[in-house]
Amino acid sequence: MNAIASHLVAASTSHIDPDIVISARDLVKAFNSQVVALDRASFDIKRGSFVSLVGPSGCGKSTLLRLVAGLIGKSAGELSVLGHGVSGPSHEVGMMFQRPTLLEWRTAVENVLLPTEVQGTTTDADRKRAIELLQLVGLKDFEFSFPRQLSGGMQQRVALARLLQTGANILLLDEPFGALDEFTRERLNLELLRIVDDVDATVLFVTHNISEAIFLADQVMVMTPRPGRLAKIVDVPFERPREIGLMQTPEFNRLVGEVRSILGGH
Amino acid sequence: MSLATDGNLSMTDVAPARGRLIGQVARHIALFLAVMLVWEFASTYELVDPLILPRPSAIATALVNMVLYQGTVWFHLGVTLWEAVAGFVIGSVIGIGLAVAAGLNESFRRYISPYIIALQVTPRIALAPIVIAWLGFGMMPKIAIGALICFFPPFINTLTGLLNVDEDANEMFRSLGAKKRQIFFSLMLPNAMPIIMAGLKTAISLALIGAIVGEFISASEGMGVLMQRYTFALNMASSFAVLVILTVMGYALFVLMEWADNWLVYWRHDTRMTAISRKKARAWAGIIGRRQA
Repeated sequence: MNAIASHLVAASTSHIDPDIVISARDLVKAFNSQVVALDRASFDIKRGSFVSLVGPSGCGKSTLLRLVAGLIGKSAGELSVLGHGVSGPSHEVGMMFQRPTLLEWRTAVENVLLPTEVQGTTTDADRKRAIELLQLVGLKDFEFSFPRQLSGGMQQRVALARLLQTGANILLLDEPFGALDEFTRERLNLELLRIVDDVDATVLFVTHNISEAIFLADQVMVMTPRPGRLAKIVDVPFERPREIGLMQTPEFNRLVGEVRSILGGH
Repeated sequence: MSLATDGNLSMTDVAPARGRLIGQVARHIALFLAVMLVWEFASTYELVDPLILPRPSAIATALVNMVLYQGTVWFHLGVTLWEAVAGFVIGSVIGIGLAVAAGLNESFRRYISPYIIALQVTPRIALAPIVIAWLGFGMMPKIAIGALICFFPPFINTLTGLLNVDEDANEMFRSLGAKKRQIFFSLMLPNAMPIIMAGLKTAISLALIGAIVGEFISASEGMGVLMQRYTFALNMASSFAVLVILTVMGYALFVLMEWADNWLVYWRHDTRMTAISRKKARAWAGIIGRRQA
């Protein structure tokens, strides 16, 4: 039944724009057939774009992310990633959580190697790559530290390196720096932009901070709660690379106001 | 789940400066000697009946006699140690095995839990005479009693540890496409390791109790037998000497478990964690082509 369904989705989406990596049509997720967590969301996400999902708690942004990750199944509608219906976790899609979820009995580099281990045997090339990724996220000289020896920000950097180690081109970030202090978060956001530019990935970034959502993204998907709904997709026209000073410009503040008014109407 | 026992009584993680350590040890020894002296005098001047509380010097003499001159105590000690350790191993393997099955399979967990609870609320030591009736008078019944008494802490702690997995970490593994087997061995089991070890620490002292009680009921060898022989003969100094030996044996087992904990749950012990971190850096030096401090 499932196989046939995913086949149909694949057939129906294969003729569409190959630049679209994630596509949803009237996507619905209900829990216990009562609580509607996500109500008829439709959107297309272009290859290489950075998309923020912003909205208050209960607006279905985490649900949407988990649907794309294949961690939960949809209730109705269509959802395809790289032209195929989603039926479970895929190696093309990597996910990062609000908490680092590091394994405390493994060193930083061993944590980064986890995706490789899960997929099969680990080669010296994989190990070299893990070391390089730790350097990329600014953790040179901490490769052999255990999570308990690292600060919260550093732990989240390890988690980011682990995400990149998956080799996935679609990165789903669920409030990745939400538990960190303002300064660390700002710095990590800037580094995140630099890194995803480097690896040429498509990013879905969940946050409840409007400025952060706009600053990082090419597009902001604004979501409203009860039931979780995709209210509007706002384009963000600013050039890249972006500097932190952008947040003081009038155009930036106009966009913040626009997003806030969409959220405020609900 | 609050039934889980936390067997962490040690203060080995606290490492005070060397001078302060010597001072502390000296104070402990001084206090111990003072208590012994008071006791000695109280006994000598018959403030307490030496038949109830023999003099420390008499206990020490009995101890030296037993350990150095008679020598038979070593045989009895070996018997009890073997019974306790075998009971511990069997009880722990059964406890952990059942917990793993229950942790992985929800319906098995539901079916087994009433029996586990029934067994837990029964004073299991009351089963000892029945077990001896089944298995006879050798070491087997003592091992069985030890296993029966000590299986619960490893069981409940393992189950708690396995079920107490961080939901985000679980999702992280699933998003990587991990199979159930991989999640079990790479996440659930190591995650449960600290609390499993706490259960094992409790279990080993329970197994020792089981062995001794079994010997009390019916046996011809072991420390429990020795203890009964001496008390029946009203040789209280020797009875207390047996008690001292049992204390030392219990402590040795406890230290052994602490050592195992240090070894297996290295990430909770700073010194060993740092040592492993260094060791791994050296092992990787060839791959990353630079020396680690």
